[in-house]
Amino acid sequence: MELLGYFVNAITPINLLLALVGVVLGTIIGALPGLSATMAVAVLVPFTFTMEPASGLIALGAIYTGAIYGGAYAAILVNTPGTPSSIATTFDGYPMAKRGDGGLAVSIATIASVVGGLVGAISLLLLAPPLAKVALNFGPPEYFWLAIFGLTLISALSVGNTLKGLIGACIGLLMSVVGVAVVGGDVRYTMDMQALLGGFDVTSALIGLFCIPVIIDLVATRDPHLKITEGNQGIRLTEAVAVSLREKFNLVRSSIIGTVVGILPGAGGSIAGLVSYSEARRSSKESNEYGKGHPGGIIATEAANNATVGGGFIPTLVLGIPGTPPDAIILGALLVQGIKIGPTLFNSQGNIVYTFIFGLLIATLIMLPVGLLIGRYAYRSIINVPKAILVPTIAFMVIIGSYSIHSDVHDTYVMLILGALAWILERFGFAASPIVLGLILGKIAEQGFVQAYLIGNATQNVTGMFFGRPISLLIIVAAALTLFYPLIAARITPKKALDVELPASAEEEPRPEKPAKYRDPATIAIALVLILIGGLAIAGTSDMSPLGSVFPTTISIAMIVFCVLLILINLLRPAAQKVNTVGQSGVASPSNRRRLLVAALLAAWIIAIPILGLGVASFLGFISVTAVANHEDTSLLRAMMYGLVAAVIVGLFYLLMANVLLIRMPMGLFF
Amino acid sequence: MRTTLVKLAAGLALGAAITTSAFADKFPSKPITYIIPFNAGGESDISARFQQSAWEKYSGQPVVITYQAGAGGAQAWSQLNSIAGDGYTIMGINLPHTVLQPMMKDVGYKTDDLTPVNYFHYTPNAIFVAKDSQFKTLKDLVEFAKANPGAVTFAGSGSNSANHLAQAQFDKLAGIKTTYIPFSGTGPSVTAVLGMQTMAGFNYAPSGLNQGDAMRMLAVAAEERLPAFPDVPTFKELGYDLVGGAYRGLAVPKSASEETRKNISELISKINADPDFRKKMEAGGFVLTDIPYDKMQSFVEKKKAEYEDAAGLLGIKKK
Repeated sequence: MELLGYFVNAITPINLLLALVGVVLGTIIGALPGLSATMAVAVLVPFTFTMEPASGLIALGAIYTGAIYGGAYAAILVNTPGTPSSIATTFDGYPMAKRGDGGLAVSIATIASVVGGLVGAISLLLLAPPLAKVALNFGPPEYFWLAIFGLTLISALSVGNTLKGLIGACIGLLMSVVGVAVVGGDVRYTMDMQALLGGFDVTSALIGLFCIPVIIDLVATRDPHLKITEGNQGIRLTEAVAVSLREKFNLVRSSIIGTVVGILPGAGGSIAGLVSYSEARRSSKESNEYGKGHPGGIIATEAANNATVGGGFIPTLVLGIPGTPPDAIILGALLVQGIKIGPTLFNSQGNIVYTFIFGLLIATLIMLPVGLLIGRYAYRSIINVPKAILVPTIAFMVIIGSYSIHSDVHDTYVMLILGALAWILERFGFAASPIVLGLILGKIAEQGFVQAYLIGNATQNVTGMFFGRPISLLIIVAAALTLFYPLIAARITPKKALDVELPASAEEEPRPEKPAKYRDPATIAIALVLILIGGLAIAGTSDMSPLGSVFPTTISIAMIVFCVLLILINLLRPAAQKVNTVGQSGVASPSNRRRLLVAALLAAWIIAIPILGLGVASFLGFISVTAVANHEDTSLLRAMMYGLVAAVIVGLFYLLMANVLLIRMPMGLFF
Repeated sequence: MRTTLVKLAAGLALGAAITTSAFADKFPSKPITYIIPFNAGGESDISARFQQSAWEKYSGQPVVITYQAGAGGAQAWSQLNSIAGDGYTIMGINLPHTVLQPMMKDVGYKTDDLTPVNYFHYTPNAIFVAKDSQFKTLKDLVEFAKANPGAVTFAGSGSNSANHLAQAQFDKLAGIKTTYIPFSGTGPSVTAVLGMQTMAGFNYAPSGLNQGDAMRMLAVAAEERLPAFPDVPTFKELGYDLVGGAYRGLAVPKSASEETRKNISELISKINADPDFRKKMEAGGFVLTDIPYDKMQSFVEKKKAEYEDAAGLLGIKKK
C-alpha cells in the first residue's frame, strides 16, 4: 500500500508537533471575532519557506482547520460568529448557552467539526480528481440560484415574522451593492465617501450586527451573561456524543454538503453552513425548535464548515484554483516552494500531497482533545468572569477585530454604527441574521445574475441559461421546498408555528407576550424610513449602467412593497393600550442610561484610537466600560484589580496583534 | 519613535556621529511591511511571495506581507500617502489600475498622487480556451467571431481591468465583436473557462501553468514568446499589435525622501536580478521588467497616454 507509506511520512514527531501547535493557534485565532483563518495562514507562510514542503503544508492546514472550528466558540458563547463560517452556529448555539447548555453546545460543535473535517479530508484523499469536476459544472446561473437558495433560509428563520425578515434581507442586499462593482464597474451608493468604495466589509458588519447589541444589553442588568444551572458547568461529553449519534444523518448530510460547497470557488464556509442548516431544519421532525436552541442546528453548521476545509483543497490541488481565501494563500506558498500544482500533482509529487492530506487528517483528529480542553476552559471563563471584566473584554475584541481586517479604523466605525442600528432594529423585531444573509449572498447573487444574463444574451438563450440547466433546476427545487415548507408545516400545525420568533429577538428581557398583535407606531416609523431609503436608492440608479442598476432597483422595489404591506397590516390592527413596548421603564431608567453610556463610550474609544494610539485608547476605553458594566459596590482593592486585569488583557492582545500577527498599528500620540 | 530610541541608546554607547552614519548606510534596519492592495492568492501576492523568499538575502531583514483589499485596490491606494514615509511601509502598485480608476470616478487618489519606485514585472494577457474547445488556433476563434458577431464570450477578471482592456483592443485590431464577461477575480474566471461556461477567456499568462493541458493558450500579448510557453505564439507574430497586461511594482508614500525612494528601488532591482528569483518568476509565466526609480516618470507617462487612448474603447470618458 503506497498510501500507508505516506501515512508513515506524516506521523513524524515534528509533523505531529506542527499539527498540534497549528490547531491550538488556529482555534484561538478563530475564536476571536475579526481575526480570521486567512490572517493566521498569511502570517505563517514565510515560516514555511524554510520547512520541508509537506511539514509547512501540514502547519498551514492545521491552523486553517483550527481557525474554522474556533469560530464556533464566539458564536455559541457571545452570539458573535468568530468567522463568517459560523454565522448559523449562533442561531441555536447562543440560545443553548443562554439557557445554561453552553458546555454541551461547545462539545457538540467539537464533535461535529471533527466529523465534518474528517469527511472533507477523506474526500480529498480518495475522490479529489472526480470531485474537482463538480466545481467546473457550476457556472454563473448555478451561483445565482445557490445564493437565492441561501436567501430562502430567511423564510424558515423568521416564521411568524416573515415580513420583517424579508425587509431585513432587502436591507442586507442593498448594503451588498455599495461600492465599486467588480462586475460592471459601476460605483454605487458611496455617497462620495472613500471608506465606502470597497463596500461594507462582511466581517466588520458581522461583528457589529451580532456583537454590539449583546454588549449594549449586557451592561443593562446585573444578571449573569449566561444562565448557570447546577451541575451543568462541565463539557458534558457523554451527552454530546448521545446527541451526535441521534443526529447522525444530519451529521453525515451536512458534512457532504460542506465538502461539495467547499469545492465551489467563491462560495465558502458561510454558505456551506447556511445551506446545511436550512436542510437540517427542513428535514427535522422538530423543526419548530430550530432557532431556539436545537443541537441539530449546531451540528449542521459546524460539520459543514469544517468539511469545506478538505473540500476547498480539492480544486486548489487538482485545478490550481483556490476554493477559499486561505487556500489561495496556501497555493501561493506551494508555488514559492517550487511545487507545480495541477492535474499531475497527485502523481508527480504524491509524497508531498499525500503526506499533507494525512497531516490534515491527523490535525483534524487532534482537534477533538484540544477542542474539548479549550472549550471547557473557554466556557468556564465566560461564566465565571464578572461582567465588569467580560463586557470590556468583548468590546475590546470587537474593536481590534474590526480594526485588524484592513488595519483601518474606518471598518471599526462602520462596525459600531451598524451595531447600534442593529440594536435599534432588533428592539422592533428586525433580527440581524437576515441582514447578514443579504449582505453575504447579495454579491454572489448579483454577479451570477449579471454574468448569466450576459452569457445568455450572447448565446441568445437567456431563459435557457437560468432555467434550462440540470444543476440549476435541482437548486431551484430545493430553494422552493425551503421557501414553502414553513407554509406547509404551518398548515399541519397551525397554532405552534406562529409562536416561533426570530432567534435574535427571542432572547433578551421578556417582552409583552404578543406585541405584534397591536399596532406598533415604531414599526410603522421604521417602515416609512426604509421606504424613503428605497426611494432614494432607486433615484440613485439614474447614473448607473443598465446592468448595474437592475439589482438595486429590484431590491428597492421589493423593500418598498414589503414595507407598505407591513404598514397596512399594522394599521389594520387595534391601537395598543400601552404606550409602547420598548422603554417600559422609560428612557431615563438606569439600565437605559447604562446602554446609552456604553454606546457613547465605545464611540469615544474608537475615535481616540488614531489620536492616542490603539494601546492607550484601549486601556482607557477598557476601564471606562468596566465602570459602566460594574453593578457591584466596589472596594479600592477590587478597582485596582480590575485596572491590573485591564492592563494585562490590553497589553497581551496588543502584543499579539503588533508582534505576532504583524498587523499595522495606527500611529497615535503614544502606542 | 522606536528607531529614535534605539538610535539614542546606541549613540550613547558608541558615539552619535558613527551610529547615525552607520544607520543611514544600512537601510533597512528592521522588517519592512509590504502591503498588497488585493486579496491573497492573486498574481500580486504570488510575485510578492517570490520576492519575500529572496528578500532577506539582499536587505538583511525580513519582509512582512499584509493584505488590504478593497475596491480593486483603490481602498489601499487612497490611503498610501497617509502612511509614514520612512520606507518601512511600502505598497504594491498596478497598471493599468492606477490609471483607469481615477479616470472614471473619484476614487480618493489621482494617478500622479502615487509614487511608484520600481515596476518589476508584468503578466501578459493571453487568450485561453478549454481543452475540448472547438478553437484550436486564434484563427479559428477570429473566424467564428466574424461569422457570429457577439457570440464569442470571454471570461476575464473584473470590469475596466487589464483583461477587459485587452478584449476591447483585440476586438478593434481583429475587426470582430465579442462579449466580455467579468468575474470577481482570476480564479473564478479561469474556472469559467475550464468548465466551458464561456467560450474563451482573456486571462494572465501565469493562469495557464496550473491547469496543465486542461487549458489551451491561443496567443500571448508579450513582445516575445514566454520561456514557460515556448509553443504559444505572440499576438504580434499573428499580426495583431497587442502587447500588455498587468504591470506590478512597488510604491512609497509621497512623503518618502529621494534617498528612501532610491533605496527601495535598488533593493527591488537587486532581487529582480537574483538568478533563482528570475528562474522561478519566468517558470511561473511572469515577464520581468526593470523600471527603476530614475526611469519611472517616462514609463508612467507613456503608459498613461496608452491607457487613456484605449479607455475610449471601453466607453470610459476622461473626467
